[in-house]
Amino acid sequence: MLYFKYFKIHTKCELEYKMSFIMSFISQFFVFFGYYFTIISLFSKFSNIKGFTVYEVLLTFGIIQFGFAFCETFFRGLDKFDDLIVYGNFDRLLLRPRNILMQAFCEQISLIKLSRLLQSIIVLIITLINIDITFSIDKIITLIFMLISSVLIFLSIFILTASYCFFTVKGLEVRNILTDGSKHMAQYPIGIFKKGFVTFFTFIIPFGFVNYYPLLYLLGKSDNKLLIISPLITVIYLIPSIAIFYKGIKKYSSTGS
Amino acid sequence: MKSYISYFKLKFITGLSYRAQAIAGIMTQFFFGFVYISVYVAFYESNHSSLPMELDEIVGYLWMSQSLFSLIYLWYKDSEIINMIKTGNIAYELLRPQNLYFMWCSKILGERLSRVTLRFLPVIIIAVLLPKPYNLDISITAFRLLLFIVSMIFSSILMTVLVCLYHVICLFTLDERGVVNIFMVIADILSGLVIPVPFFPKFMQNISNILPFRYISDFPFRLYVGNIDFNEIFISLGMQIIWILILFILGKTLTNKALKRVVVQGG
Repeated sequence: MLYFKYFKIHTKCELEYKMSFIMSFISQFFVFFGYYFTIISLFSKFSNIKGFTVYEVLLTFGIIQFGFAFCETFFRGLDKFDDLIVYGNFDRLLLRPRNILMQAFCEQISLIKLSRLLQSIIVLIITLINIDITFSIDKIITLIFMLISSVLIFLSIFILTASYCFFTVKGLEVRNILTDGSKHMAQYPIGIFKKGFVTFFTFIIPFGFVNYYPLLYLLGKSDNKLLIISPLITVIYLIPSIAIFYKGIKKYSSTGS
Repeated sequence: MKSYISYFKLKFITGLSYRAQAIAGIMTQFFFGFVYISVYVAFYESNHSSLPMELDEIVGYLWMSQSLFSLIYLWYKDSEIINMIKTGNIAYELLRPQNLYFMWCSKILGERLSRVTLRFLPVIIIAVLLPKPYNLDISITAFRLLLFIVSMIFSSILMTVLVCLYHVICLFTLDERGVVNIFMVIADILSGLVIPVPFFPKFMQNISNILPFRYISDFPFRLYVGNIDFNEIFISLGMQIIWILILFILGKTLTNKALKRVVVQGG
């Protein structure tokens, strides 16, 4: 498939600079370690956060980081979408007889970010070994749904912020609030925050369905079977995001020469 | 000397004209301050055991770090200098009669000070007006305020020589990622911007007490909120001066060394 061809090319391209690749890989490791370190340190002083213990928080953290790292690795083209627009390279994509969104994905694939993906998986494994959950089929399904929805929600956010570039040309710093800010909050179970935040993360950016409502079921804090499939709500979020992206393309006027 | 002040002024005034960027910056800082505080509020509401900092102390600490963020954060590369090194335009810089090291230092300081000038007050004002427990407490004794200002002056200089050192290292590596990035991440964690140093495990606290990073942000802010012993204040001020000297000498000698074998990239 086309995507895999691109993947191979980008990978070869990155591995060409071996030393730089290794160093960047290590520095990514430290970045991630910083996040992990925060939670571990805080829990060495505090016993719980609104009734959630360290491994329960690490589970939500791992799930969010997994989704984010997955999108950063494989859909990085969207993250750097404003470059495409600013330099007028987007026209190139429009001329090709392939799906545009797909081509945007292919534009950049960053193997370095794989470092974070690996670490988030390590964190998840450590967590799942230590966490106090008796796993049954429905709980495993819930967990898998949570992981998928985490990828989906970041994909939708990436697409949304990319389509934002159609309207403003240059992606503003403000969009970092949306991605980094909400990512930071979603590392904790959303329920620990004040009501306003909870509503925001349920209805506007549905992080609550990624790592809070299904988590309640996973931890046995709620018996509502509906919560198992609640992560799938993020699919519904993806659809308008894609629609907005295509609307943006219609509005697009080239900046290149 | 005069020419370095001009470089500083030039960067400072240019920086002031980026208003839209500043507004975006203020919003980001405010939002993040609020997010961090929400996490701590949730932690403090569910725990009552003995903790290294009071909630109002940590709130003050976080607002200070957010409002001064553009001055003290260590994850910073001057794209102009990096591009110069990468494209070979550094050759022009070397033709000037000024010293490269001091020139870079004054540019970095000018840029950072102009950023913080636009962002500092708005964030502080909003933070003061917030409802409890999110608000910033600005009642502080005159003596402590004076010490805080002195420590902030030292911390700006320390930040400048440290950030300048990254760029000097780039002269050797010709790449701003890799080693420099690793250096920056470690600096970022140990500076206490991720979480305040009192929350570190004991051995990490010891490490960060020796290294310069914590004296850029953690120390002045804890001084501001009063989470520090009287003796420790003066020891820390001394540490700031010692590290300024060490990093300055290191940066200066490395620059001279690098310039002896400078590689001008590009044609």
